[in-house]
Amino acid sequence: MMQPIISFQQYSFKYKNQSEPTLKDITLDIYPGEKIWIAGPSGSGKSTLAHCINGLIPFTYGGDIRGRLSIAGRNPAELSIFELSRTVGTILQDQDSQFVGLSVAEDVAFVMENKAMPREQMKRETSASLERVGMLDYIDHSPYELSGGQKQSVSLAGVLSTDAEVLLFDEPLANLDPAGGRKAMQLIDDIHRQGGKTVIIIEHRVEDVLQQPIDRIVLMKDGGIEAVGTPDEILASGLLRGCGLRPPLYVDALRYAGVSLDGVQGLSRPQPLGIPGLGERLDGWSEQAAAGAPSQPAEPLLDVRGLTFGYEPGQPVLKDVSLLVGAGEIVALLGNNGAGKSTLSQLITGILKPQSGSMRYAGQDMASWSIRRRGEAIGYVMQNPNRMITQHMIADEVGLGLKVRGVPAAEIKERVAGVLQTCGLYPFRNWPVSALSYGQKKRLSIAAILVLAPKLMILDEPTAGQDYRHYQEFMDFIEQLAGQGIAFLLITHDMYLALEYARRAVVLSGGEVLAADTVASVLSRPEVTEPAHLKETSLSLFAKANDLASPERFVQAFINAEKKGKKGHE
Amino acid sequence: MKKSIFQLNTRTVVTIGIGAALYGATSFIGIPVGPDTSLRPAIALLAIFGALFGPVVGFIAGLIGHVLNDLLTSGTVWWGWALGSGITAAFMGLIYLSKGFDPQNGTYKGKHIGLFIVYGVVGIILSLLFSGWFDITFMGEPSDKLLVQVTAASISNIVVFLVLGVPAVIGFARRNAKVSNLSVNE
Amino acid sequence: MNRTGSLYVTGNSLFHRLDGAVKLVLFMAWTVMTYMFLDLRVFVLMLVVGIALLVTAGIPFKKMAFLFWLMIIFTVLNGIFILLITPTFGTRLTGTDTPLIQLGYNTINAETLFYVLTLSAKYLTLLPITILCIFTTQPSAFAGSLNRIGVPYKIAYAVSIALRYIPDLTEEFRSTLNSMQARGMGITKEDGSIAQRLRNLAAVVVPVLQSALHRIDSVTNAMELRGFGTQKKRTWYSGKEMEGLDWTLAVLGVLLLAVGIWLKVQVLKGFWYPF
Repeated sequence: MMQPIISFQQYSFKYKNQSEPTLKDITLDIYPGEKIWIAGPSGSGKSTLAHCINGLIPFTYGGDIRGRLSIAGRNPAELSIFELSRTVGTILQDQDSQFVGLSVAEDVAFVMENKAMPREQMKRETSASLERVGMLDYIDHSPYELSGGQKQSVSLAGVLSTDAEVLLFDEPLANLDPAGGRKAMQLIDDIHRQGGKTVIIIEHRVEDVLQQPIDRIVLMKDGGIEAVGTPDEILASGLLRGCGLRPPLYVDALRYAGVSLDGVQGLSRPQPLGIPGLGERLDGWSEQAAAGAPSQPAEPLLDVRGLTFGYEPGQPVLKDVSLLVGAGEIVALLGNNGAGKSTLSQLITGILKPQSGSMRYAGQDMASWSIRRRGEAIGYVMQNPNRMITQHMIADEVGLGLKVRGVPAAEIKERVAGVLQTCGLYPFRNWPVSALSYGQKKRLSIAAILVLAPKLMILDEPTAGQDYRHYQEFMDFIEQLAGQGIAFLLITHDMYLALEYARRAVVLSGGEVLAADTVASVLSRPEVTEPAHLKETSLSLFAKANDLASPERFVQAFINAEKKGKKGHE
Repeated sequence: MKKSIFQLNTRTVVTIGIGAALYGATSFIGIPVGPDTSLRPAIALLAIFGALFGPVVGFIAGLIGHVLNDLLTSGTVWWGWALGSGITAAFMGLIYLSKGFDPQNGTYKGKHIGLFIVYGVVGIILSLLFSGWFDITFMGEPSDKLLVQVTAASISNIVVFLVLGVPAVIGFARRNAKVSNLSVNE
Repeated sequence: MNRTGSLYVTGNSLFHRLDGAVKLVLFMAWTVMTYMFLDLRVFVLMLVVGIALLVTAGIPFKKMAFLFWLMIIFTVLNGIFILLITPTFGTRLTGTDTPLIQLGYNTINAETLFYVLTLSAKYLTLLPITILCIFTTQPSAFAGSLNRIGVPYKIAYAVSIALRYIPDLTEEFRSTLNSMQARGMGITKEDGSIAQRLRNLAAVVVPVLQSALHRIDSVTNAMELRGFGTQKKRTWYSGKEMEGLDWTLAVLGVLLLAVGIWLKVQVLKGFWYPF
């Protein structure tokens, strides 16, 4: 019997400042050469488990440890964080924090520099490491010239240079677009195969991780291990949802269509399943479920026509962009980093001025509107609520926008109370901001804009950094606001978000609109998804693999079934 | 628990680096209030970094931040004023040495705020006098003219310190104070 | 400044090839030299040498023009300021008084005018060497060079971190400002009185600081996990070994400085006024 390289035995951990343990009675053996995925929602303890493996616990974060942990046969508490890093190499979630060097080469060489390795040897090993992750061509680039995925590859090269036996990836997909995520998983798999490394991936995005083979899934919930098994076992068990994770969309579609999944093999990827009669059955279901009255086009609220903008003449960042958002409509603005999404939102909010084109809001020309006036009609909400919240108390934060506009105190109080009620924050109105959870802060950042009574809100990556449950809670809240007549423009590269919540999608790539159509149609077209670094949805891939009559209809059927399911819950 | 101010561990190195970067990143912005004088938030950040991490971190971060910003945006290092930024931050950081002052854990008393203001104002005036002296001695600038400059800069820096720096530190401490007994009011 | 936050321009001039530490030595020698004198002849000589070096470095003038303009605007304003506040300052240096331009309250004399000219030349003299250093040195070579001339490596690395994160934090600060502005809490004239704008600015500082502190945590973790600070010594990927040319120029720089000190002490003691 092989010795496990990492072994937790009845292991518990409690952070210094907390009253409850974050990890409870963990028993888990990981063997050399395995590829393990530790899955779970935020707060499940998966990041804490990662800290225990790479030594941040106990060396940076102190606390009470019960039980035993051994890594490569030794107790990490008796080593130093650096000694441990020779066995466990960590690739952190935040690529910008991990990338401390001023150039690619320097960042890869960081560990060698710290070991005071002679320069000649360092140069050789750096090149060799970069070669392994396919980044040698970028050796002199600065981090600002790289995408998130490329920065991550560089971090991986840095870790590979240490010859650590275990590679630990902490939410490797968190900041990547779908195409970047696919490449990252591919690279991790290549390294795993070629180097015989033990790979541990901490993630909550199910479909994206499963693009490549996984040996075992460790499912975590509330600080304990809920289940351990192969992907097929876990997917068929239906446990994912209970753990706040999103099963692959096609697995849900199969459930909606009433297909039994017991003992079905090959669920981990969208591929032919070999269930007799599956095609006809799903086609029948699609035809029935996809039907529905075509929605009435909403009255145009924001009408952007022929917008062109560039920082330097002759180099437009946006070319002839047109976009329509109807009253109370949720529209997704999809596209890769650098496609011009944030430039477009800055043009709409008035931070930037277009070189040509027009913008009308409820029929009025906005050209002469000040940033402030636009802010009252069109709210802009940043991705990270912590970057918008400036006040100590919740009610002050919400009232701030009114206060600077000279609204009388009594009216402020009334409007703040109303908005807090809408956002479900009224019970906490006397709390300091710091007592709120991330999801609540997210709502607070919406409330602070909502109080100005805009008819349209631009949400920048509204669901980034949230697990499925929080994501769903938040977006259901947004949908509810849309029901009250507020329109939303979601700037995102999250396709599920668009698929489930937006009525239409506008795809931007290279500063131009590639497509503007229903989400199901846009995301079933590879000629649109590829240049925009999106992926064809797993639903559409699954439909094609199983020879369904119309992938688009299958996608639409799924969307309708989801909506119906949601209504059923309410 | 507060660490010794001279211990140069990884966290201290990063804090100095990020503090200096923050100083550089916020230097480009300011509200102009007169010729050659504007209210810049950068001085408030020095106050905050001093208060949170002590005089040594404050001094080095202020100095590095100022020098790098000069290099990237003005083509010359104004050594007198760069050292002045460091000295200002070091003075403001003296509050870090007071017993019972720990904004990271939300603990401070009224007297700390008074002391912080005294340290800050004294630090600003002394450091600008130093910068002025430096320019008179090494650049050969006329002392009368520098007196005018130092006075104007002192006033604008003190205003920024009082309006931005002090409230930010208090706000930060309040934010980090342990909250208990929160009740939900339906 | 470009997106990467550095002003580096690729090239293969003498200055490009020179070791960063040598450039720092030359930079310091030049700065001390300039600080010592108040003599137009010295500055003219240094300016000629400096500009000649700049020309050979092949940095496109367009890229450095803004620094020249900044400095010229600064020296002109500074000069006017001096002439208005202390119109007869030159007399203190020369002991003579040659009235020239009538101001209502006082008279600008020729001595002060010449003094202002000298002072402006002094400021301008500082410019070429700084431009040479920042345009021909890759930012990544900077920290290693500091370390080589004796700055402890941990402090040198703090400089590297600052350079690394200035662009990121600038971007963050800018986007936070933008979102505040859309809420009506910007810092432009449109947003109200100076007091109100100052309050708005104070509000922006909070999230920016919060995010910087968060960044400190994650960068610290990343560096700890990769063994920063575990050894007494550290090597640097960027940079090169010192060669003959480097030594020659470093020694030359120090020698010239020594000559300068001798000149200052023995010959050009004070303010040079030819008339």
